[in-house]
Amino acid sequence: MASVARKNLFEDIPRFLVAQAGIMFAVSLVTIQTGILNGFSRSTSALIDDSEVDIWVSAEEMVNLQLTLPIPAATVSEIHAMDGVEQAEAFISRTTTWRSPTGDIAPVQMIGFDPASRMFRMGQLTEGAIANLQEPYTVIPDRANLGALGLDEVGQSASINSLPVTITGFTRGTQSIASSAYVFASLRTANAYLNSGLTTTSNCQLEGDRLTCSNMFERDASDIALDPPRALRGSDGITFVMVKAQPGQDLNVLSRRIEAEFDGMVAHTQTELSTLTRNYWVGSTGIGFVLGLGAGVGVVVGVVIVSQILYASVVDHMKEFGTLKAMGASDWMIYRIIIEQALWMAILGYIPSIALCGGLGWWTFATQGITILITPGTAVVVLGITVGMCVVSALFAIQKVTHVDPAIVFKA
Amino acid sequence: MVVSSLQSPVTYPIHSLPAPAASSSYPVEHQPRRAAIAADHLNMVFRSGGGSYPALSDVQLRVPSGIVQLLMGPSGSGKTTLLSILAGILTPTDGAVHLLGEDITQMSRRELARFRLENIGFIFQGFNLFPALTAAENVELALKTKGVSRRFARKEALDLLEQVGLADKAKQLPKNLSGGQKQRVAIARALASDPPLIMADEPTAALDSHSGHAVIDLLCRLAKERDRTVLMVTHDPRIIDVADRVLYLEDGKLTQTPQS
Ligand SMILES: Nc1ncnc2c1ncn2[C@@H]1O[C@H](COP(=O)(O)OP(=O)(O)OP(=O)(O)O)[C@@H](O)[C@H]1O
Ligand SMILES: [Mg+2]
Repeated sequence: MASVARKNLFEDIPRFLVAQAGIMFAVSLVTIQTGILNGFSRSTSALIDDSEVDIWVSAEEMVNLQLTLPIPAATVSEIHAMDGVEQAEAFISRTTTWRSPTGDIAPVQMIGFDPASRMFRMGQLTEGAIANLQEPYTVIPDRANLGALGLDEVGQSASINSLPVTITGFTRGTQSIASSAYVFASLRTANAYLNSGLTTTSNCQLEGDRLTCSNMFERDASDIALDPPRALRGSDGITFVMVKAQPGQDLNVLSRRIEAEFDGMVAHTQTELSTLTRNYWVGSTGIGFVLGLGAGVGVVVGVVIVSQILYASVVDHMKEFGTLKAMGASDWMIYRIIIEQALWMAILGYIPSIALCGGLGWWTFATQGITILITPGTAVVVLGITVGMCVVSALFAIQKVTHVDPAIVFKA
Repeated sequence: MVVSSLQSPVTYPIHSLPAPAASSSYPVEHQPRRAAIAADHLNMVFRSGGGSYPALSDVQLRVPSGIVQLLMGPSGSGKTTLLSILAGILTPTDGAVHLLGEDITQMSRRELARFRLENIGFIFQGFNLFPALTAAENVELALKTKGVSRRFARKEALDLLEQVGLADKAKQLPKNLSGGQKQRVAIARALASDPPLIMADEPTAALDSHSGHAVIDLLCRLAKERDRTVLMVTHDPRIIDVADRVLYLEDGKLTQTPQS
């Protein structure tokens, strides 16, 4: 049996094409907005998600990966010594100032980690190797920031806090859209940049069986010597301790134990820190609202277009629908025809839209480094929205048909 | 229920029938059987814009089963209104309508729709075919609406089109058919699932006299073969000779003979 719905739809090709263009526009708008939100949110926590860290320990004031207070490096070995901990490593993440080869300054997020680490992954390298970072005063920025940092190739030099810096590689796709440019370095190098011109004194007191330390950072303008960066001392400020638990450990229990052991510190699992960081950026930037608004406009435009087209199509076929009703067809059978027509419109608008958005996402990433992340989940949600949009649009047409008087069939 | 004896299975013993005569006519003297259509004291008053217009007054009629009944009368006399009421599409202001022995004026909207679906085939002046569907698909849609399964609907649609002489036009869209051919598709559709009653409103009004005659001959022949009851509204005096009985409507009142 031929589908009346499909035939009605294809009866007027120009009208069908206008409808499909409208649906494609609406669906693409929703998909792209959602994709940008996903891409944004994913980018803010990419460093956390890509790592293989079980627990992230930080100062309790910690707001997100990029915003926290320093903790003493001594914590690393203390945590390492705890029961149930297989490995503990320092992680540094702080903002500082970059001076490009041409002398322009820019804020950067200095990220220090042990290049030999098996826990932290800095993402995909397009040039160079992680091991290059063992070389003193070398860094690896992300390709997305070449312009902002005034760079174009490996081997170039710039400076951070008046210390020279050499580019030894590039990553790709690691940059958080919300943060300053990431610059990856070894712990020693990062520490040297962040504390250059600064001396630190550490004051530790034993209260009962508990060691409480406070760090004092003081600027010393005369310190300009460029010695190879020294290893971290216990009093140096780091940002996080990355913890790998022994197999079989309950991560929540271990986290609580760490928090109990270290006053003023907080321990988060990978998922917790990732969620915290994403939510912070999505919430604080209002980006979710803005993109949601865009997607909402898309849905409204879609509903308007689809309902107009369906309504017009139903009005055109009033006599035939009236005939079906006169013959004794149930209302439901007529609704089915209209809803089927709406579903065809949804599917035929959705498929090219998703293909288009996929292509657009690939293109923006390749040329602009902007991630429009269209996950299978997004695709399913957008399909749901599209179908919902078309079915809601069908309601207008349905109420028109409901009121058709079968007596019209005898009017010539 | 008596109705069921009238409903034959969905196969048509048409192949064994003689070819139609060049000009067929059916005897007017007909042994009346049980009334297929009966109306008692029908009144219809249209109310619109504050005024009221009596379209039918005290209509009384009996249409025996198995005949071709014509309903004639001048324009505006209420023919379409009466047909709509007799078909259960319009509710009369008062009075009762019995179709095949059942009082349709007592039925709910849903029951009425079901009754029409099972018992009445419609033919309209304007054909009312789905323009996007081919001749066969239009007939199939009716069959499917009547609950015939997808598998059988196709074959039956082609059978019906063959009976109206349009086997070669099955795949044509209505826009590629002549008026007479369209009306023959509509006849095939009305005969779908072989309903006991066929109601037609001016089926020839949009046709020239030759194809109009051919269409009416065909409809009457197929109805007779199946022992179906046809109620046909028409303006067309040339159709009288195919009818078993003629009733005249004038100013909403039924008469046996034309007043004018
Ligand atoms: N829905 C309605 N509302 C008000 N008046 C109506 C309505 N339908 C029909 N009428 C009136 O009832 C009268 C009978 O109309 P009807 O359509 O039954 O005439 P008819 O005999 O079929 O005419 P024709 O031969 O021109 O088709 C007309 O005067 C018409 O104006
Ligand atoms: Mg009329």
